[in-house]
Amino acid sequence: MVQDLSTISATIDGESHVIESGDTLLKFVDRHRGRGHVPTLCDAPQLAPYGACRVCSVEVALQPDGPRRVVAACHTPLAAGMHIFTESAKVQKLRRNIVELVLTDHPLDCLTCEVNGNCELQTVAAKVGIRGVRYPAGANHLDRAKDQSHPYMTSDLSKCINCSRCVRACDEIQGQFVLSMHGRGFNARIIKGLDTSFEKSPCVSCGACAQACPTSAISDVFQSKSIEASRKTRTVCTYCGVGCNLNVATKGNEILSIQAPLDSEVNHAHTCLKGRYAFKFVKHRDRLRSPLVRVNGRLQPATWEEAYAHIVENLTRIKADHGGHAVAGISSARCTNEENYLMQKFIRVGFGTNNIDACARVCHSPTAWGMQKAFGTGAATNSVEDLQYTNCIMVIGANPTEGHPVTGSKIKQRALKGVPLIIIDPREIELVPFATHHLQLRPGTNVALLDMLAYYIWEAGLTDQEFITKRCENWAEFEAGLKSLDLDALERIHGVPREKVKAAAIEYASAENAMAFHGLGVTEHSHGSKTVMTIANLAMMTGNIGRPGVGVNPLRGQNNVQGAADMGCQPHQGAGYLQVNDPSNHLLYEQFYGAHISNEIGLKIPQMYEAALAGHLKAMWIVGEDVVQTDPNTEHVKAAISSLEFLVVQELFMTPTAEYADVVLPASSFLEKSGTFTNGERRVQRVNAVIAPLAGTKPDGQILCEIMQRMGLSQPDYTPEGVLAEIARIVPFFKGATWDGLTEQGTQWPIQEGGIGTEILHIDAFKRGLGKFHFFPFQESKEIEKHHQEFPFILTTGRILEHYNCGTMTRRTGNAQIVTEDLLAIHPQDAAMKNIEDQDQVRIFSARGEVRMKARLSTEVQPGILYTTFHFPENLVNVVTSSECDEDTLCPEYKVVAVDIEKVHAPDATTIPALTH
Amino acid sequence: MSIHYKPGKEPHPREHRLIFKNIDRADWDNGIDCYLRDGGYAMLQKAIGMEKAAITGEVKASGLRGRGGAGFPTGVKWGFISPTNTKPVYLICNADESEPGTFKDRYILHQDPHQLIEGMAIAALAVGAKVAYIYIREEFPHAATICEKAIEEARQRGFLGKNILGKEGFDLEIFVHRGAGAYICGEETGLIESLEGKRPYPRIKPPYFPAALGLYMCPTIVNNVESLCHVVHILRMGGAEYAKLGKPNNTGTRILCVSGDVQKPGYYEIQVGHLTMGEVINDLCGGLKPGRTLKAIIPGGSSSKILKAGETYKIKRGAEVVEMGLEELPMDFDTMAAAGTMAGSGGVIIMDDSRDIAWVLNNLNTFYAHESCGQCTPCREGSLWMKKISDRIVAGQASPEDVTTLESVAYQIDGKTICAFGEACSWPTEAIISKFRDELTSHTRPELADTPKNPVTEKAMASL
Repeated sequence: MVQDLSTISATIDGESHVIESGDTLLKFVDRHRGRGHVPTLCDAPQLAPYGACRVCSVEVALQPDGPRRVVAACHTPLAAGMHIFTESAKVQKLRRNIVELVLTDHPLDCLTCEVNGNCELQTVAAKVGIRGVRYPAGANHLDRAKDQSHPYMTSDLSKCINCSRCVRACDEIQGQFVLSMHGRGFNARIIKGLDTSFEKSPCVSCGACAQACPTSAISDVFQSKSIEASRKTRTVCTYCGVGCNLNVATKGNEILSIQAPLDSEVNHAHTCLKGRYAFKFVKHRDRLRSPLVRVNGRLQPATWEEAYAHIVENLTRIKADHGGHAVAGISSARCTNEENYLMQKFIRVGFGTNNIDACARVCHSPTAWGMQKAFGTGAATNSVEDLQYTNCIMVIGANPTEGHPVTGSKIKQRALKGVPLIIIDPREIELVPFATHHLQLRPGTNVALLDMLAYYIWEAGLTDQEFITKRCENWAEFEAGLKSLDLDALERIHGVPREKVKAAAIEYASAENAMAFHGLGVTEHSHGSKTVMTIANLAMMTGNIGRPGVGVNPLRGQNNVQGAADMGCQPHQGAGYLQVNDPSNHLLYEQFYGAHISNEIGLKIPQMYEAALAGHLKAMWIVGEDVVQTDPNTEHVKAAISSLEFLVVQELFMTPTAEYADVVLPASSFLEKSGTFTNGERRVQRVNAVIAPLAGTKPDGQILCEIMQRMGLSQPDYTPEGVLAEIARIVPFFKGATWDGLTEQGTQWPIQEGGIGTEILHIDAFKRGLGKFHFFPFQESKEIEKHHQEFPFILTTGRILEHYNCGTMTRRTGNAQIVTEDLLAIHPQDAAMKNIEDQDQVRIFSARGEVRMKARLSTEVQPGILYTTFHFPENLVNVVTSSECDEDTLCPEYKVVAVDIEKVHAPDATTIPALTH
Repeated sequence: MSIHYKPGKEPHPREHRLIFKNIDRADWDNGIDCYLRDGGYAMLQKAIGMEKAAITGEVKASGLRGRGGAGFPTGVKWGFISPTNTKPVYLICNADESEPGTFKDRYILHQDPHQLIEGMAIAALAVGAKVAYIYIREEFPHAATICEKAIEEARQRGFLGKNILGKEGFDLEIFVHRGAGAYICGEETGLIESLEGKRPYPRIKPPYFPAALGLYMCPTIVNNVESLCHVVHILRMGGAEYAKLGKPNNTGTRILCVSGDVQKPGYYEIQVGHLTMGEVINDLCGGLKPGRTLKAIIPGGSSSKILKAGETYKIKRGAEVVEMGLEELPMDFDTMAAAGTMAGSGGVIIMDDSRDIAWVLNNLNTFYAHESCGQCTPCREGSLWMKKISDRIVAGQASPEDVTTLESVAYQIDGKTICAFGEACSWPTEAIISKFRDELTSHTRPELADTPKNPVTEKAMASL
C-alpha cells in the first residue's frame, strides 16, 4: 500500500520532505536547505528556540493554495501536511525591514570590526538584501563604553542587537545567570551581574556568551570569532576528564583562539575557561627548550643525543648492577594513550619489571579497583549524555562545577529542570543550592553514610529483588551486614541527621533511573576502594545498572587518567587490565612483546618511595608529574627521590621534582602532539597536533620511542596511528580501534571490530559475570585515631575552577589574574574561637609539618572542618598531609588531615619602635 | 433590598449593575461584614455543593466572554485544563489594569474585593486550583493592601484555607503579587514570567499556552478581575438566565470606562449591546462639550483601532446586513469586530473636533514605545521609530514620505511578534493613517523629502 505522503511530510517552497519528530519549521528547513537558507539573528543551535528577532519568519499554509500565515520558523512546531514558503515577497520584505531597523542602531564599522567576515548580522543583512536605511539618524546606543576589565571576556555593547543569545547561553548552558537584560524597549541593554563589569561580576569566564553572540558585542581578548585564522584544528582539552572537544584557530604556528565545536557530543559548543582561554602557557618563556643533564651537581643544557647517551649509560649500568627491578617509572595521565602504552612497554620490556604506575594512584585508583571488584570493569558504566534520561542524580564527594565544569553545568541544568539532586559532601558546594538533598557529612565517613543509605533503601523495601537475584551475588551476606548496623553509632560518626539520610535514600531508590557520580572525595581516603564498592552496592540493590540514565560514574580528574590505567600503567595489570601474575596473561605478554616480562606485581608509587629510601630502587623515570608538589607528605617524597642514583623527568616546565633530576627532557604539550585521550566516559578521542612542537621540545611519545631504540629495543618511530594499531592488538576492548575509525566524535570502549563503540556497560550481564555485593562496616581513619586529640580540626582539600592541580599550566595564563592564591576556608564560629578574622594569615600544623595561608571565613564548611585548594604549591599544603593510604590501592588520604590552626600574629606591638617625644 | 448610592454617584437609569452594584454605595465598605450582610459568599457555598464540571458548565452556558480585552469565552478557557492533568493547577487574577482608557478593575479592587475573592474561590474550585494569585499593578498600591486585608478576612471566616466551608479537600490560598510598573505584565505569559520572579518577557506560543504550560510549567488559568466577578452572578442567576442579559454571543453586562471629550466621563455598567455608541455619548455621558462635534472614538482601550465620525459600517443584524454610522453602532463584541476594531477592555475614548490627530497618534506611540518590553526586534525598534516619526510629524519636521514609512513600520510589527503587544502598538498607527492620512500629511512639508535620511548608515552600507 502506498503511504499517503502528506501524513509524514511537509513541503518547502513546493518540494516535499519527510518530517522528523520534534522538528520546528526552522530545523526542518535547515536540514533540507542548509543552515542560513532561512536567516535568523536570535536563534542558535545550542540554545532553545526564542522567537524574538522574527527574521526567520516564513509563510505557512495548510493547503498549497490555502491562506498563508506568517510565523517565526524557529519556534513553530512542524506538522505533516504543512506548506512552508521561505522566500515569498512578503517574508522577504519583512526580513529586510527588520534588519533595516536593527541597522539603525548599529555602528556599521564592519571593515574595522573584529568579526568582519564572520558576523551573523553582516551575513543576514547581505542575505536579505539591505540597500539602504530609510530612517534618519536619531537616538542610538553607539556611544556605549567597552568593557575591557577582564583577563578574557570583553564587551562592546554598541554592537549589541538585543538578541539575548548571551543571556540565554549564560542561563541555559552554563547556568550562571550573570548576564541579563536591563530596562525595556529601546532602553533594554545587556548587563553583567548587578550592572557591573565582567571582572566584578560573578562571571566564570566560560565564554559561552562570547561564542553565542552573533556580533562582537560580547567577545574575548583572543577575538575568537575573527576570521584571522588560517587553519582550525579539532582536538581534545587536557584540563579534566570531561574531554571537551576544542576547535583551535591558528595562523602559522601561532594559536589565536579556541572555540567549542557545535557538533561535539561531549561538550555541545560549551567548555570552561581553562579549555577555552588557558592556552598561553604553550609559548610561555618558562617552557623548557633544551634537555638538561646534571653535570657536577648542576643541571646544564645538553643536546638530545647527549642526554639520551647519558640516560642509556646510567640505566644500562643500573640494570646490570642491580637488576631491572631497581628501575621504576611513573607515567602521566596528562599524556596520550599511545604515550602511556609506550611508557609501560618501555619499563616492562626494557627492564623486565612491573614497577610502572601513574598518577591515577593518587586519585582514581580506588575507583578502578573497587568497580573491578564489584562489576568487573573499572570504568564509568554510563555516559554523561545519560543525564538527559535520569530521574535522580547523586553526586558523592565531587564538586563538578569546579572540577568538571561542563558536566557540572549539565548537572545544574538538569536540577534546574526539576530532576532531584542528592549531594553528599562535607562542604556546601556550588550545586547545593540547586539540590534536593545535601548530606553534609564529616570528612572520612563516607562508608558510614553510604551504609546508612543502603540500610534505609533496604528498610523501605525499595530493593530490586529481581535484579539482585538474577544479576548479583553475595546478597545474603550484604543483607546480614545491613541488619547488623548500629544506626545510632553511624549517625554520631557521620553527623548527618538520619531523617535526611533516609529521605535521600528513598529519593535515590524510588527514582525510575538514578545515576551516581563520584569524585576524589570518595577515593582519596583510607577506605576509598571500599567506598567505591559501597556506591556499587547502592546501584546494584536498586537495579540502577545497564540502561540509559543510571550507573556508577566516576568523574575522572585528569584528561586521560582512564587511559593511563587502560594502557597498563599500573603495577599489577598490564595493557588491557590483564593481571601480570596470571600465568596465561604472562605468557600472552611475553609472546606479544617477544621479551622477558616479569610476572611479579610491581611497586605502586608510595612503595617506590619506600623502596628508594630502603635502597632497593635506584632509578626512576617520571613523565609529566610533579610528585614533590602533588604527592602527600612532601618531605618524605623529597627524601625518597634524593636517594635515587638516577632520575629522569619529562616535563614542560622546570618543576620542584625536575630540580632533583639527573636528566630533564623537554616535552611538548597536548597542543603540539597527536594521539588519543580516553575521557571519563570511556570515550577514546583523537588529539590532533595544532602547532608544531616548540623548538627544542619533543612529544613524549617520540622521546619514548627514541630512548627505546637507543636502549636496544625494537621500536618503530612514533606515529599515533602505528601505536594505536599495536594497542588494538593487545588491549581487548580496543580491538576495533583505528585512527580513522574513531571519527571526530570519538568512540566509547569496548570498541568492537568495525569500530563500534559501547555507550552503556553491563547491559545484560556484568563483566565479571555476577555483580558482587561487598559489605564493609565503618572504620575510623588512622589519621583521626592517631592525631585527632592533638590536632582537633579536619583539613580537607579540593580544587577550584580557575586552576589545574599545582598550576604549572594555568598559572602561566590569564587565569592567574583571576585567582591569585589558595585560601583556607574556616567556619566563622571556629574563627571566632581562634581569634581569626577574614584574610588573616594563619598557621596550619599537623603531625608532619606546618604551612601558612590566608583565612577565608565561610559557612560552606561546618565547624571543625577546614578546606583549602592546592593550586599554589608554594604554600606546600602537602607538607601537612599524611602518608595514610587507601588500604587496597595506596591512594593517599588527601581528604582527611588532622590539623590545628592559629593566627599568625603581626609583629608584636612592643617590637615597633615606641614613639619618642 | 434597595440600594442607596452616595450623592452624585447614582447609576444612570440605563445602566444595569451587577459587578458595580456595590460601587459607591452609601452604606458600603470593603470589609467582609458588609459583604456578608449583603449575602456575600452564598454563591461559594452553592458552588461547593456542585460538581466541578457543573460550575464550568454554568459559565459556559452564560456565554461570558473575558473582560480583559481579548473577549475569549471564559468557560471554554477553563475547559482547556486537561482532564488527565496530574500537575498542580494555578489560577491567576490579572489585575494589571494598564490599558490606557481603562479604569474599571481598580474600583472593584478598592470597593468590593470580596466579590473578586468569592469569584476566584468559585473559579479555583471549578478548575482545581489550590493556589491562586492576584497580580496587581504597581500603580495600585492601595488595591494591593485592600486585597491582602480582604484575603485575611476571608481566611478567618473559612472562605479560604484548608477544607473550605467544611468541604474535604477544597483548599485554596490566594496571594497578592505586586507588579513593578510594566504594561507588558498584563500580557498573560509576561505576567506569569513576572510572577515567577523573572523579567516579564512574553512566552512563545507554541508551546507555552498557559492552560498547558503556565506558571511553573503547570496548567494555569488567567482571568481578568471583572471576568472573575461575573462568575459570582452567573452562579446566582444560573448560566442560562445570565445569558439573557445582553445579546446572543455578547451576553451579560460590562463596564464601559468612558474618557475624553464628553460632559460626564466615567464608568457605566450596561448590558452588552443594549446601547449604541451615540447613546453612550449622549445619554450616559451627557453629550459632547458645548459647540463641539464628534471626531473619532477609540472604543476598547487605546490599542483598539480608531473609528472616525462620518464613517459607515456594514453590520449584520439577524440575517440582513445594515449600513450604520458610528453613533448607531451597538456596543458589543461582535459589532465592534465587524466595524474593524474591538470592544477590548471597555475603555471608550471620545475625541471631538478640537483634537489634533497627529498629537493623538504621537501620544499613543509615545506610550507604546515606552512600554515595549524589548524582546522582539520589530516591536523594540519599530515602536520607537513610530514614536520618533510621529514626533517629527507633530513638530512639522516630517516629509509626506515619512507617513508612508510610519505606516510600513506598523505593518511590519503587526502580527510579527511573540505577543499581542505587536498588534496593540501598531493598530492605532495603522488605523489613524488609513483614516486620517490627509490630516497627518497636512502636518508634513514636502520640501523635507530630500533631507539626507541617515548619512552615517548610508555611507557605511557600502561595507555590508
